[in-house]
Amino acid sequence: MRLLVIEDDATLRETLAQKLGDVGFAVEQAADGKEGLYFAEEYPIDLAIIDLGLPEMSGLEIIRRVRAEGKTYPILILTARDRWEDKVDGLSAGADDYVVKPFHFEEVSARVNALLRRSGGWASSQLEAAPGSLDMSRQELKVNGEVLELTSFEYKIIEYLMVRAGQVISKAELTDRLYDQDFERDSNVIEVFIGRLRKKMDPDNTIKPIETLRGRGYRFALERNQSD
Amino acid sequence: MYSLSSRLLISVSVLLLLFFGVTIAVLDTAFTEAGEQARRDILDGHLVALLGAAEPNDASELALPDRLREPRFGQIGSGLYGELRNVDGDVLWRSKSALGLEIPEGVIPVLGNHLFARESLLDGTPLLTLSLAVEWEFDDGNSKSYVFKVAESLDSFNAQIAGFCGQLFGWFAAVAATMLLAFSFLLRGLMKPLRKIEAEISEIEGGDRTSLSDRFPTELIGVARNLNLLIDSERARSDRYRFTLDNLAHSLKTPLAAMRALLGSENREDFGDRFDEQIDRMDEIVRYQLRKPASPVAEKLVLKSVHVEKEVTRLIDGLKKVYHDKRPNFEVSVQPGMQFRGDTGDFLELAGNLLDNACKWCEKNVRISIVPSASERAIASGMVLTVSDDGPGIPQDAADALLQRGMRLDESTPGHGIGLAVVKDIAASYGGQLSIKQSKTGGAEITVSIPPISSAKSDS
Repeated sequence: MRLLVIEDDATLRETLAQKLGDVGFAVEQAADGKEGLYFAEEYPIDLAIIDLGLPEMSGLEIIRRVRAEGKTYPILILTARDRWEDKVDGLSAGADDYVVKPFHFEEVSARVNALLRRSGGWASSQLEAAPGSLDMSRQELKVNGEVLELTSFEYKIIEYLMVRAGQVISKAELTDRLYDQDFERDSNVIEVFIGRLRKKMDPDNTIKPIETLRGRGYRFALERNQSD
Repeated sequence: MYSLSSRLLISVSVLLLLFFGVTIAVLDTAFTEAGEQARRDILDGHLVALLGAAEPNDASELALPDRLREPRFGQIGSGLYGELRNVDGDVLWRSKSALGLEIPEGVIPVLGNHLFARESLLDGTPLLTLSLAVEWEFDDGNSKSYVFKVAESLDSFNAQIAGFCGQLFGWFAAVAATMLLAFSFLLRGLMKPLRKIEAEISEIEGGDRTSLSDRFPTELIGVARNLNLLIDSERARSDRYRFTLDNLAHSLKTPLAAMRALLGSENREDFGDRFDEQIDRMDEIVRYQLRKPASPVAEKLVLKSVHVEKEVTRLIDGLKKVYHDKRPNFEVSVQPGMQFRGDTGDFLELAGNLLDNACKWCEKNVRISIVPSASERAIASGMVLTVSDDGPGIPQDAADALLQRGMRLDESTPGHGIGLAVVKDIAASYGGQLSIKQSKTGGAEITVSIPPISSAKSDS
């Protein structure tokens, strides 16, 4: 998943980006409102974390413009302003949730996961699609109750596919959303990882969790246990 | 921007100028017309006298005697001239007064008719002339046509008119100047209380006075009273800010001291957790101070109207996003079009904290009801805001503790205590109260009652 962090405080922004990177997200960073708006409008991102008090352009303005552009990805507000008036303004402008500064990283991470899950239409924190289940907060994939050993990149792929279960995801989208910018983009690598995932999840080739749609991409094929 | 006195003086001057200008013009016209009419009557008399004096001579022509009854005809340059011409325009007789002058022949009137005209001599002297064409029948039975003409110089008449106008203008100018002078004195007296307010405000700014005095005319006493109210509330606000800042700075010192002690301590056990605990403490202190009410109710002069239904809808739309997974069922009961006299931020803080707590604790249902409360002398109605949920509820003994700042019933739901303490402070700043009881469904039911703002109170 590719996230965008717009925050003017360098320490906070870099720490947040690093920690989000540590838990498997590809993270873009912007230090002011204008740069942030450019990233938010032009980059393929899955979620934006936006500070409200930014130089050049306020966070509220960025949110309004991004929503006016028709972008629907979730937006999490970071704010030092704790009054309800400010929170309501942010949420009315088009944000989906807020975190008040100072915060624990775990709080941000939990909200990011919840928003991503919600954007894929999942209601609970466990993504259940029998016999598979994915716990986004613990980054665990189970099949038939057994925890699978996955590399971080394998996890990124299955998380992306499962959050969007039922949707066709192209190889290009997977490369865009999962690689960090400085990583060499090679779509063959995706095929290799998909192959490994299939072997780990379905060694007997019976449940067929990931479909390949020739020329179009991949689809997580298991039925959601609960969706809304 | 011009001062009030200048505006009034300019307006009054323009009005006086218009009034006197029109009056002078009307009087001048009336005087001129009356004067001219009188001149015409006199000329008519002179013409009749000439007619009476005319006698046929031996040559069967009309002639006039050398001496006429009107002596001005005989005085050279007297300004009154007489003339008799035949139909061919030949002058048969001209008065001595017209010696050396050429009276213009002018238009010859129809036989038997009078004709008044304004003509002028060759040197430009304006004349009022009266001509009469007659058919004279002689004793021998013959008849001939003649034109009698009398003319009078208008020099003296015009001088009279100019003199009259000059006098009129002079008098009116004097009257206008006197009126303006009297008006400016009057204005100075009228403006005195305003200047007094200005001076007293300057004294307040300079610290020589604490409030405006109450010795003002009836029209200004209300303004002075409201200004005093504003000054008092500003002073209270400034005191409050100083107090808050002082409180905040001091309360942050303890956790800071604890953090420094931790850094210097050799015991590193649970260092991260203990350090974090101090950060949480500081955060809690700052959040509470930041979310306290924006203003006390004494500042009702500057309060606006909050559209209750609109703000509650905005709030609930926001909360639906935040509690997307829990999906609480909101039951809203707000009188359409209801207004709350207060600060929008304060209202959102009241409703936001209560609804947020209800969403955190509820099983599924959250209910909010807002009804206005009014009294006879109210200038703005109050409100009773009730939020209830179907959660575990709050035991009464814990309810009192909850109202204390920073007390938490459940550490897993941070900020609960702060939220309610803030609600309590805001309610108190509007002269209201907070009560906690059990809802019908067993959860918590929290009611904030804000009393109406009464006119009696605003007069105090």
